[in-house]
Amino acid sequence: MKRIVSGVMLLALVAGAAPPPAAAGPQPPPLPAEHLTVAKVGPKSPHWVYVVDYAFNNEIDTRVYLFDGDTYRRIGQIDTGFSPGVNVSPDGKTVVVATTYFARGGHGTRTDVVEFNDTATLAKTGEIVIPPKHTQTLASLFTAAYSADGRFLYTPYLTPAASFGVLDPVRKTVLSEIDTAGCTLVFPWGVNRVSSICESGRLLTVTLDAQGHEATRNTSDPFFDPDKDPVFAQGVPLADGYAYISFLGEVHEVDLTHPKPVMRAPWPLVSGQEKGTWRPGGVQIGAVHQSLGKMFVPMHRGGEGSHKTGGSEIWVFDMKSHRRTARWPVDTKAAGEVVAVQVSQDAAPLLFAATEKADLLILDAQTGRVKHDEKKLGQTPQLLLNP
Amino acid sequence: MQSFDRMFEKSARSLAKRTSRRSLLASLGQLLTGAALLPLLPIDRTARAQSPAAGAKPTADEQNCAYWKFCAIDGFLCACCGGTSTSCPPGTQTSPITWIGTCHNPGDGRDYIVSYNDCCGKVSCGDCFCNRNEGEKPMYRLSRNNDVNWCMANTESNYHCSVSVILGVAGE
Repeated sequence: MKRIVSGVMLLALVAGAAPPPAAAGPQPPPLPAEHLTVAKVGPKSPHWVYVVDYAFNNEIDTRVYLFDGDTYRRIGQIDTGFSPGVNVSPDGKTVVVATTYFARGGHGTRTDVVEFNDTATLAKTGEIVIPPKHTQTLASLFTAAYSADGRFLYTPYLTPAASFGVLDPVRKTVLSEIDTAGCTLVFPWGVNRVSSICESGRLLTVTLDAQGHEATRNTSDPFFDPDKDPVFAQGVPLADGYAYISFLGEVHEVDLTHPKPVMRAPWPLVSGQEKGTWRPGGVQIGAVHQSLGKMFVPMHRGGEGSHKTGGSEIWVFDMKSHRRTARWPVDTKAAGEVVAVQVSQDAAPLLFAATEKADLLILDAQTGRVKHDEKKLGQTPQLLLNP
Repeated sequence: MQSFDRMFEKSARSLAKRTSRRSLLASLGQLLTGAALLPLLPIDRTARAQSPAAGAKPTADEQNCAYWKFCAIDGFLCACCGGTSTSCPPGTQTSPITWIGTCHNPGDGRDYIVSYNDCCGKVSCGDCFCNRNEGEKPMYRLSRNNDVNWCMANTESNYHCSVSVILGVAGE
């Protein structure tokens, strides 16, 4: 009781010691009452970017940030579970996430699920529970991917036996599972074809029937040497196929406009003198502006085993002449080395670069001028997608 | 090996339910061919790793990413998480399948085959992240790849940290 009385007296003293200041003039009107709302996403801009944060320090809590490259503001977030595959549907209306959840947070029964998120609201709109074996690996464009018409959705499985699931994103069903004989990831092309990359240096291509089951398959000739100069498994999307860049900087373009993959003659990112010294590296190791025909690659000085080292420079290449048209040094002390690049596809393009320090650099993709350095966008952002 | 056999059997059965006999046989044939050509496919090396394989236990800072044994590791060093470079932290489970590296020990001038098992069943340790990639290969060469979650086949498949266990001298 004594203590309560003391407390009351103390409160009274404090209140008495600090009276409100005497009014020097007429008081301004009080602030109006505020209303609680949920913010709208707003009209889509080509300068938005989805930033996939793998959150290495707490990997069950990965997420995707939608970031505006003009206003430098976060628009919102999509939760993506543990070791997800993330992609955007061909019509841009859906962000798809193939991921894992554990029943008790960090442990418990594993449920693998493909989740659909409306890009106009960033709200989850549906899901498909899939077999608990989706490929859990680094961020990649090829661990969840749509057919060109959006009718099929593919997600690779790894147990470590390799296969992939064919899903119907409209009816929200699993249509089939297709064995890939050790070849991994899904590189979709056309409305019903999927390639996977093989240890033998080949592409395995499966053609689906109308029900999403395997109709035919073929295996390409080897197009790279996995012993002497392996390619990054993360292909770079082209207007007509994919480019697979090797550790030493050879570009292997695969033309996917024919019934079977056509391998073009490889071309080098580096001169004879630079070979083995300057190398591509990181996670998302290239991006192409389709109409300008420019490819952007993070490059670093390094030796064998440095293929995940981020770029201290970004090199720009003309996809027709195969010539390097620019070298843009990165202020690595301030921002860190570049581990992922993406370029907007409009006429005034922005180049986005995620770094080892978890910064997001925004550059003018035509001049290389750094327009903004967004500090610490998550923990470990490693994949960037256009809206 | 037992757990790998079980896992392989399970995945083969699962695959058989969903694919044609022809494609299953083709797959098995390719896997077997691959196994013959590449003895270092993902396999259970736990039993072998438990016996001393390379003489005296290396003395080094197991919490230092520069330690030679870590030449192809990618993850949190278990020695910073309650374990050691050869033991998983209490309450976690070892991954029966793994990736391997070949690392040079400057102390004795030998190259060693090192197994990088993951420790599973708890959320990321979050300390002493270490990523080195000597001889590391992309996912299509799975046994040399450190990007995938090697807890994938565990009952509790969350990733916690990684150990590096000497299997033997390379080439012997």
